[in-house]
Amino acid sequence: MKTVNNHEGKRYVFSLDPWKRQITVNIDAKRLYPDDESLISRIRQGSHEAFAELVNRHSNQFYRLAYRLISNKEDAEDIVQDAFLKLWDRPNLWDPNKRTKFTTWFYRVVINLCLDHRKKIKLINLSENTEFADENAGVDILLDAHQKQAVLERLIHELPERQQVALNLCFYEGLSNNEAAQIIGVKVKALQSLVMRAKTALKYKVNRYLRGGAR
Amino acid sequence: MTMNVEKFKEKLLMYGADVRNWPKDIRSSGLRSLNSYPELRKLVEEEAHFEEVLKTRKYEAPDHNLSDRIIAAALYRKKKTKRNFKVFFKDVLREFSLSRRAVAVVSLSLIFTLIIGFTIGYSNLSGYASAEHYEAHLEDSLNYEGDVL
Repeated sequence: MKTVNNHEGKRYVFSLDPWKRQITVNIDAKRLYPDDESLISRIRQGSHEAFAELVNRHSNQFYRLAYRLISNKEDAEDIVQDAFLKLWDRPNLWDPNKRTKFTTWFYRVVINLCLDHRKKIKLINLSENTEFADENAGVDILLDAHQKQAVLERLIHELPERQQVALNLCFYEGLSNNEAAQIIGVKVKALQSLVMRAKTALKYKVNRYLRGGAR
Repeated sequence: MTMNVEKFKEKLLMYGADVRNWPKDIRSSGLRSLNSYPELRKLVEEEAHFEEVLKTRKYEAPDHNLSDRIIAAALYRKKKTKRNFKVFFKDVLREFSLSRRAVAVVSLSLIFTLIIGFTIGYSNLSGYASAEHYEAHLEDSLNYEGDVL
């Protein structure tokens, strides 16, 4: 059998008879590689097509988390690229025997890269219009949606690191508590506590901001 | 069975403002509590509003060619895979459409030929076909007086 793929991983050529006949069929790569784990085992054998399929399948999802954690498009793209290239160079880093889903493990890789990156650059370079509202400013300052977004970003980044990660995974990524707990490496109860504390602190700060500062 | 206000608040933070999306085991008691205690409605509304605020968070989509960029970058990297012998052997078989039996027969024939070859070679270390040939060559060497210039 001979296989030929394009970068979308959608065209496969199967030879029925090695000497004469060949048929070409289009098969959706998702059907050929239904799960990520089978893709990884192909990547271990050096299959660039399997790697391409894995990247097409997940790059946006991991970018979203990276962007949420570092708030910079270019850096988030670079981090996702680095993470995938690490996998390409050393596919054995993911151990299927540990019974962890590929995405769970890879989320952890991306999060660690993001946290390292944040340590390096000391995030939150907020411009002057993103300064916290003056205590006496009033609500008219909220009219600017861009400013609201920037303030929200700042409030989230002020949370402790683990609370931020928990909030991003559970609220913004919509992962289950179980999966998020596995990614962070804590028990479900601890994860729930992280989410609750993150939301409570954020709610307090947002309300304070919306009221134009606590008096 | 309903849950008290404190418990409801906790679940509200944990699972969000849409009680219908709560885990199955607490969903019905959450909905019952919501119907039983009017003050909980206000809490749910506040939570929903808070979630709306969180959703206004800025997000920039990646470049449309992010995947292509990663895939291309991987192509240019030197692939350092340790080839597994078993996988390599399977690939060879598949590539040339050989049956295992045929490969086994060919391999055994080669091994057998090598064994016979070595056996003959070691039994005749001098490299001469016969003892007469060896003696004749020895005599020639002894009588050799050098080239005439």
